[in-house]
Amino acid sequence: MIASTPHTAPRRPAAHRLGPAIAIAVLVALLAPAQGARQSNLVALATAEGAPGPNAAFRIIVNPANPATVVDRAFVAQAFLKKVRRWPDGLTIQPVDLTRDSMVRRQWSLDLLGRSVEAVKNYWQQLIFAGRDLPPPELPSEGDVVLYVLHNPGAIGYVSGAVPLHGAKVLGFQ
Amino acid sequence: MPESPPPAEPAPPVAVAPPQAPPSSPPAPPPPAEPVAPPETSSLTGLPPLQVHAFASQGAIKSTKNNYLVKHSVRGSVEFTEVAINFTQPLTERLRMGLQLFTSQIGGVGDFHIQADWYYLDYRFADWLGLRAGRTKVPFGLYNEIQDIDAARVPVLLPQSVYPLLSRDLLLAQTGLELYGYLRLGGLGGLEYRAYGGTLYSPNPAPSPGMTLIDYRVPYVYGGRVMWELPIEGLRLGASYLGLRADADFTTMATDPASAPGMLDLTVVFHLWMTSLEFARDDLVLAAEFGHWHARLDTTAQASMQAAMTATTTETDTRYYVMGAYRVVPWLMPGVYYAGLLPHVSMMTGRSDHQHDFAATLRFDINSFWLVKLEGHYMLGTADVASALNDGKMQDTLDDRWFVFLAKTTAYF
Repeated sequence: MIASTPHTAPRRPAAHRLGPAIAIAVLVALLAPAQGARQSNLVALATAEGAPGPNAAFRIIVNPANPATVVDRAFVAQAFLKKVRRWPDGLTIQPVDLTRDSMVRRQWSLDLLGRSVEAVKNYWQQLIFAGRDLPPPELPSEGDVVLYVLHNPGAIGYVSGAVPLHGAKVLGFQ
Repeated sequence: MPESPPPAEPAPPVAVAPPQAPPSSPPAPPPPAEPVAPPETSSLTGLPPLQVHAFASQGAIKSTKNNYLVKHSVRGSVEFTEVAINFTQPLTERLRMGLQLFTSQIGGVGDFHIQADWYYLDYRFADWLGLRAGRTKVPFGLYNEIQDIDAARVPVLLPQSVYPLLSRDLLLAQTGLELYGYLRLGGLGGLEYRAYGGTLYSPNPAPSPGMTLIDYRVPYVYGGRVMWELPIEGLRLGASYLGLRADADFTTMATDPASAPGMLDLTVVFHLWMTSLEFARDDLVLAAEFGHWHARLDTTAQASMQAAMTATTTETDTRYYVMGAYRVVPWLMPGVYYAGLLPHVSMMTGRSDHQHDFAATLRFDINSFWLVKLEGHYMLGTADVASALNDGKMQDTLDDRWFVFLAKTTAYF
């Protein structure tokens, strides 16, 4: 008895096999950047979690009166996209951004929001001209972000590891 | 017997530190005395500053055969202008008001009349419940609210099967109330929902020759949209519904001049459904939508001294598209889509019972305030081509295969 093997099975013309191959290649290409971003997330979060040092990619800071100590990553993203507006104690969340040319913001945007700065800008254009909402204020320096956080009880911002915090509280990630 | 562990509860989004005894060490020193940015408020009113945003768009359209969207697209037209300015004023932490003025000229639509595109008072009770009163954009599908906002999308023309530019006045905004909210679902993502009801203020329909419009009204428009943000970052799935009724009463000229004019009453009821899927992560946007639009037209005609005659016709369109765009570099974002429109109307056959639109766009962001777009379409069919723009020719007599090219530039802030 002769068993048929895949090698002896009749093959379809090569062109017919290209369809699935192209589909797989496209899928891999689409997923590749996402996987890369996820890895970057892990690096950033690892540096921000616990006791973030001066080498952290960024630190999330809040007003020292804010009772929060750790925060859910998705909650931060929803706060910066203004999908949620309140801290659990009812205080209004006041997110504050750096300007779009900031490297810290670029890293933050990709890691926390899952989108490039340009994509986030597009998101806000949609909301601004649809009459839905306005973006967080953009401040020119990390020092300004620290001051904004210190003077607004519900504020939340992000700064690199090197900037002095003057008492602003650093949140870890859950 | 050992105690069973308590049921696991989802972790709260924010954890707080337990109360502690006063620290033995002195508190951290206050920030140094340097210039401090106070909370932003207007010096006169004590309110946060008024936010102003605006855009101005100018486009050009050229089609190879059928006139599309504008009267003279075959020879080329620049009747493709949109301008808007909006003002938003937060009044309290929960209350906001806003207004957008809009004017446009797209072929014969708009004619540079300035209108209040939207205006509202918005009170947000909590994240899960807010109330808006006024004229608000209709949340339908993924992109209905940004139909006229060139800066907020990649294509010059959104898929016309789902976002018809020439029906802007019927679909874009409603005047009434809207409830909205957002729910965090923990490990299941988030849920955004909106429901609205009110009426429409749209231009009167143009009567046919021999007819005079007596009354036109939209007794109601209502609907809602639910968007589920799945746990997969950037992926959302949604469904939208819009219901609308419009009534129009006309007098018709009698064939015998000595007779009294006749009456023609039209009532049209729309039920529009759309399902939506979008994946937006990093610089990639993939979107697909599919829907059925159902319309029922009741006609009552009464000639002078004769009994009224009534008739009802229905139409259900199938509308869909798939779209993808990827920002290659910060200043360049190409995009493509395929859109289909299949009207199921018994009287339509041949090239007028479909329109397939294959589009490709290049979006150039010159800087943060200025962009330029180039776009080409290959069209199969004429279901979305207006006879009125083509000297009254029936759709079945128009060209079946044709191209449309567009260029558009927008300045915005």
